[in-house]
Amino acid sequence: MNEGSAILAPMTGWILLALFSVLWIGLGIYWGRRNKTFEDHALAGRTVGLALGSATAAATWITSNTTMLAPQFALQLGIWGMLAYATASFGLFLFAPMAGRIRKLMPNGYTSGDFFRLRYGKGAWSIFLLFTLFYSLTWLVSMAMAGGILLNALSGIPYVWGMSVILAVCVIYTMRGGLAAVIGTDFIQTLIIIVGIVIVGFAVLSNVTIDEIHTNLAAERPALLSVLFPAAIMAIFNNLLFGLGEVFHNNVWWSRAFAYREGVGGKAFFIGGLIWFPIPVAAGFIALVSGVLNVPVPAADMVGPLVVVSVLGEIGAIAIFIIVFCSLASSIDSLLAATSDLVTEDIYRRMIAPAATPTRLKKVAQIITLGLGLFTWAVCIPRIGTLASVLFFAGPLVGAMIWPIITGLYWRSANRAGAVGGMLLGAGVGLVCYFAIGWYVASLIATAVSMVWVLACAWLSRSRFDWDELRESP
Amino acid sequence: MTFSAGFLTAIVYGSLAWCALAALALAVLLVKDLASGETW
Repeated sequence: MNEGSAILAPMTGWILLALFSVLWIGLGIYWGRRNKTFEDHALAGRTVGLALGSATAAATWITSNTTMLAPQFALQLGIWGMLAYATASFGLFLFAPMAGRIRKLMPNGYTSGDFFRLRYGKGAWSIFLLFTLFYSLTWLVSMAMAGGILLNALSGIPYVWGMSVILAVCVIYTMRGGLAAVIGTDFIQTLIIIVGIVIVGFAVLSNVTIDEIHTNLAAERPALLSVLFPAAIMAIFNNLLFGLGEVFHNNVWWSRAFAYREGVGGKAFFIGGLIWFPIPVAAGFIALVSGVLNVPVPAADMVGPLVVVSVLGEIGAIAIFIIVFCSLASSIDSLLAATSDLVTEDIYRRMIAPAATPTRLKKVAQIITLGLGLFTWAVCIPRIGTLASVLFFAGPLVGAMIWPIITGLYWRSANRAGAVGGMLLGAGVGLVCYFAIGWYVASLIATAVSMVWVLACAWLSRSRFDWDELRESP
Repeated sequence: MTFSAGFLTAIVYGSLAWCALAALALAVLLVKDLASGETW
């Protein structure tokens, strides 16, 4: 999309970009002043309260996908599409009890890698690191790329400039402020996104009634209202499993479980899920208005912004720009921080420099954040159009890790053979199905195969894990 | 079998009201945490 077809003047886009960039970087530097050690930098001192904890759980899960893809889901899969998307919140709900248990079992833990190393040994740890780094880097690159593409589509800012600015801003405030900056900005970003969605939603409804939308859909696209829409019902399972796998394994979520004040983790993730749950419907229904208003939709993923602009004009375009910018920043900063902590703790500290001081580790984490930013930037420059399929490719890897994590946290009988075999077999069979059948079954089959192997190994096992082994000294 | 206009009304208005309440609840939680010194 070029300047001519953008919904906002490039100058307005640049002004908004500059204002929010200054705000996030300023706050990052301010909140980073108290960070002295790696624990301060990576886990915000392990004292995050309920308000910030709940907001960051929701904000990190609100990616640009949530605000841009939800309308696309509604446009293509109808009412079930919006409801299917909302099931991604189940990952947060189900992680809530796990977060409390993680904090209790591993009071000195730093990363999800620590759990695999202590619970299942080096073999499982290595496989986990390989899988999770592949997934996290793919997600990070896809978010940065989405940033450039969306800012270009919304305001005509050239792709490379938009991608570079949003990435640079997130790298600078994450480097300076660590998790505290990420969590603090997440709170503000959550409020901006939710309030923005509510204002835009009611503004659209002041122009069109639900009865008009329903009548138009019944006449023009009745499948979108169908209770039995097979493709949409399949999407429920896919979203649900992908969400579970992502939240259960990724250090983005584990680092928060370690960072929350004692007793806060479970409540924060549950409230985060409650905050996130209505967003796909609140943001998605706007797409259903396109038929009533005769809004031409050249690309399905732009339906939300196009409808909002047709109803609210430039104010709507500004609102969408801010919502999308906040959605992107809240995910990119979390991925940068969590991946940098994973590399610092699991690779640098555990494999290269076990005697490194807390101050040195903090420095290394900052350098790794910068390195991740530069790597992401370099990969994003060519603007590969097929990255979404790479992210789907990671689905079986993510699905194969669900059962080793759940059983490893709750069952003493869960063991190394189960975890290693579950991850390798699940991912292997899932990837074969990815190529032989399609992406939409890959995660499901990987999860099922991994589950059977992990449960069988636990059932046949005579060993019983001692939970105290997870209580590693800091 | 199709979803009715009533159902669509309920989920759309319900989700918007839910979002508004969520924003309000977050603000209240923050004030509470600030008052008790447990923000972070």
